[in-house]
Amino acid sequence: MLKLKNIHKSFGNNEILKGVDLEVKKGDIIVILGPSGSGKTTLLRSINFLEKADQGTMDFGDIHTSLAKASKKDIYNVRKRIGYVFQNYNLFANKTALENVTEGLIIAHKYPKEKARVKALNALRQVGLEDRADFYPSQLSGGQQQRVGIARAIVSEPEVVLFDEPTSALDPELVGEVLNVMKKLARAGITMIVVTHEMSFAESAANEVIFMDEGVVVEKGTPKEIFSHPKDPRTEQFLRRIINVDYQYAI
Amino acid sequence: MQLNIEFMKRAFIASLGAVPITLELTFITMVVSSVLGFLLALKKMDKKKNRFVDAYISFVRGTPIVLQILFFYSLLPTTLNYVLNVVLGLGIKVFDIDPIIYAITVFCLNTTAILTEVFRSALSSIGYGQMEAALSVGMTNWQAMRWIIIPQGLISALPNICTTTVNVLKSTSLAYMMTVQDVMAVAKKEASYGYNYIEAYLVVLFIYIILCVVIQLIFREAEIIAAEYKRGRAVTQKTFSRRWSYVKVKKYT
Repeated sequence: MLKLKNIHKSFGNNEILKGVDLEVKKGDIIVILGPSGSGKTTLLRSINFLEKADQGTMDFGDIHTSLAKASKKDIYNVRKRIGYVFQNYNLFANKTALENVTEGLIIAHKYPKEKARVKALNALRQVGLEDRADFYPSQLSGGQQQRVGIARAIVSEPEVVLFDEPTSALDPELVGEVLNVMKKLARAGITMIVVTHEMSFAESAANEVIFMDEGVVVEKGTPKEIFSHPKDPRTEQFLRRIINVDYQYAI
Repeated sequence: MQLNIEFMKRAFIASLGAVPITLELTFITMVVSSVLGFLLALKKMDKKKNRFVDAYISFVRGTPIVLQILFFYSLLPTTLNYVLNVVLGLGIKVFDIDPIIYAITVFCLNTTAILTEVFRSALSSIGYGQMEAALSVGMTNWQAMRWIIIPQGLISALPNICTTTVNVLKSTSLAYMMTVQDVMAVAKKEASYGYNYIEAYLVVLFIYIILCVVIQLIFREAEIIAAEYKRGRAVTQKTFSRRWSYVKVKKYT
């Protein structure tokens, strides 16, 4: 359904992505792991054209385009069909939770207001925040804000939802509620690409784990393959470090 | 020394009569300059550098307003006269134009530059994350500006717009140099009959303070109502707790 080939991206002389390929099938839950600076976030941002890749092609349903020279029309179409959840939520500060969700529908998708409202309330129900519809982001906790962010991303029924470290800006005790919502969406069959350090989520929800380092895909496979039998020493080293950290938290 | 209370009463009533002129000058200047300043700010937000806008802002910021007034008040009528009558031969009596038009022109030139910077800094104070979020739900660049960035930017510009309005109101006291009959000019005229300058200035002082305080109160209310969405923020709530409760009472009873 979504196929990206040979993505390259540099910032100045710093090459972040050095030829990454990615293939997503309908219903896939893909988790991307990797140390900081490995290009995970840049990869997600390139898919959504928040970052313009220097090279690479995209096949997304009936859209076939180069990433570097995509037309405005293609860019807007891709964005309308892909949801994006930000690390620091980025809710519209001047809009209530409900308006945050309806805004894209009304302005970008040209939904009539009442229909957008119904759809948005439905999305808020899915993330368990129907009762917070009229609250402003500043009146919500981090976890609630991120759940509104997820509702905003899924409300237009996008074909793929991208999650950019959705829990890493949250207090530890708020991580659970967001992960639960994500697991629920995964079970509902929504296609997701998730950049995260939450190994529990990767293990329980993902059907493919990709390990990236220094701008390339080092290894990919099922969670079981990656976590139990990593082939590449870099993967192994990374996992050991992350799991050690988890262990320390347990103490 | 004794203050001539009788004169002060007279001067006060005479000066009050000129308050509409002062307010008119301020109001028209602010409306015209806000529109122009906002457009220039949007222009300045473009990545392309616009030398003309930069030069204009530097000129206004780098010269005293008294000089600007003297310069344009000498320059404008003569130039207009030359263009309209000598070149185009229209036979318009340029020197009969109400001086208030010239005053508004000069104040607009000055205020537009200041408001351009006010709007630009307010718009760029809205984090880029808001823009990206708007783009990510499928909005175009302009839709994101129109529905997300500009509404927030205008609200964060309010305190500085208030400062600018108060500054313009005070600068209009210089309009007497262009023979406009504003509060200052009227008071000075009254004083000149019997050399009661101290009393006249006291009266003017009082009038300006009242006007400025009223303007600031209006803006403060506007800010509280407009920034409703910030209500949950701990810091704001602490600072304005008394007023927030006022707004809540007003809204929910």
